[in-house]
Amino acid sequence: MKKKNNMTRALLSTGALAFMGMATSSAQAASGESIIKDRCLICHTETGDAAAPFSRISQQRKTPEGWLMTISRMQQQRGLVISPDEKRELVKYLADKQGLAPSETENLRYVLEKEPNVVESFEPLLQETCVRCHSGARIALQRRTEDEWKWLVHFHMGQQPTAELHAGARDRAWFDIALNQVAPYLGQKFNFDTDAWQQWQAQAKQPLSGRWAVHGFLPEKGNFDATMQVTMQSKDHYQISLEGNYADGSPLAGQGKAVVYTGYEWRGTVTVGGVQMRQVFAASADGQSLVGRMYPNEDDVMGGQIKAVKKTAITAITPSYIKQGEQALLTVSGYQLNGKVNLGSGLKLLEVVSKNDNRWVLKVQASPKASVGTRHIKIGNTSASEPLAVYDQLARVEITPNDSIARVGGGGGKIPKQKSVYRAVGYAAGADGKVGTLDDLRLGYMTANWSLKPFDETAVHDNDIQYAGQIDARGIFTPGDAGPNPARKMSTNNVGNLGVVGTVQEDGKSISGESHLLVTVQKFVRAVIE
Amino acid sequence: MKYLKSLNKKAKMLDQALSPSDVEEVVAMQSIVGCTSVNDPGWEVDPFGGLGSLCQPMESDLYGCADACWWPAQVPDTMSSHSTWSSDVSKADADWRKLDSIFPEE
Repeated sequence: MKKKNNMTRALLSTGALAFMGMATSSAQAASGESIIKDRCLICHTETGDAAAPFSRISQQRKTPEGWLMTISRMQQQRGLVISPDEKRELVKYLADKQGLAPSETENLRYVLEKEPNVVESFEPLLQETCVRCHSGARIALQRRTEDEWKWLVHFHMGQQPTAELHAGARDRAWFDIALNQVAPYLGQKFNFDTDAWQQWQAQAKQPLSGRWAVHGFLPEKGNFDATMQVTMQSKDHYQISLEGNYADGSPLAGQGKAVVYTGYEWRGTVTVGGVQMRQVFAASADGQSLVGRMYPNEDDVMGGQIKAVKKTAITAITPSYIKQGEQALLTVSGYQLNGKVNLGSGLKLLEVVSKNDNRWVLKVQASPKASVGTRHIKIGNTSASEPLAVYDQLARVEITPNDSIARVGGGGGKIPKQKSVYRAVGYAAGADGKVGTLDDLRLGYMTANWSLKPFDETAVHDNDIQYAGQIDARGIFTPGDAGPNPARKMSTNNVGNLGVVGTVQEDGKSISGESHLLVTVQKFVRAVIE
Repeated sequence: MKYLKSLNKKAKMLDQALSPSDVEEVVAMQSIVGCTSVNDPGWEVDPFGGLGSLCQPMESDLYGCADACWWPAQVPDTMSSHSTWSSDVSKADADWRKLDSIFPEE
């Protein structure tokens, strides 16, 4: 059943992320409350309750991204007219006044950070009702009154009537379940009023200006250490200057801006090597650390985890393992490191090869009899929070992510390819000597050779390996071109069901791990929160 | 499946997919954030955790599958939210290069 749509196509092309401009603040911008009164009261009403003055607005709490999605939907679907400056101001106002406490976003930050290939697991009730279409985190990062959760059910019914079909309405009373089971459950689990939010509102928020030591990973270049100089422009608005080096010594430098929402939600844009990168970090309550992810605006898969500190700390040790009897160069990343190096039992410091503000390079000898297990390196009084593993032999390799997707793209079309990035994690067998048991010792990321294989017989039969894409020496998979492929049976797209194989060499032995990759079709909808 | 015998390829795949490990695989792939578990066949993944039973090539039946809002988080819902998304591209299989994604938050 084909349906032709002859209406004029709306100008809804993809483009720069709306948040990109958010780092500039207009001093003249109206206050959030007056913007609501000017722009939103055509539909919303004033309740007369000073604690919750606006209908359907004052009874919800969301992340900055959540509020951005709501206001954008009002623009596109409900005729809201609002200037870009007013929109920025309103997102800031609502995220500050009705945001989420740090503890309320814990373990859900992946969806804000655009971490790829995250496998979610929510309660069956939510999985079957909501997580069929969008992430569970999209729900869990909102707080509403029970009535508001019920209104959300009604909204879905009105905006997308086919929700009935998705929910299996033929076989079960889905609307009754959604309204009378799911909404009350959400009203309890993700209630508008929480102690966590009250406490966070009452807490003093720390300014984030100063000099930060940043350690991170980007798939194309690997680990890096940098200094991030942060200067306050006005309350919650900062200038950023980033300068450092990748592990191979090549420079990394960037300039940008950031806005802090809700007292801890750092959202920055930095141009690094001509590429606009987005920073989605959470600041710690003491204002001394930032943790999150940095990724290219237009290619969010190609980002990585970042940790920044402005107190004395060790943020990373690379590599995070050393083998009994071997010598190794260990890079210790951190801030204001000073003093004597203490490596722990069985490890001897041969030389401090180099040291600067952000990074010490140590030449270390492990005794052949060093006990297998972890050590926490100390420099002066500063202990590493991440362990250094001393091991006997590499026993197995895991490939992360275990389940993954990539999407075809390009090929002359408008939607770019969605790549996928893999890393190999090594393990020793641990004290019991058995591989694959709970006491296996995690060694950390290892250099691997990468290859692809058909995942199953169908993939062999359809020759997916020839069409679906290629993996490079860094573990970056690039999928094939979009569009029907006349060279394939029935002009099938360049999709494929593949295994990703990472092989680590040690002492002449090859140890491999595998993970699953589905190369599938593109998505035609992009969302700030999937 | 006691009284039914699988005759064609797809039915045989369904039989094979009934082992618990395969079912877990299906669940895992469909729970990746950004993918949907709605409908059979799905948008990204078929009921067997693979691609063999997807509508392929996707463009040949894009509007038949997507216009009725089968996968609102994957394909713009042209019933109510994004009615003009594909209006300039009457044949997706021929003119798929003209189709863009929408970014509702822009």
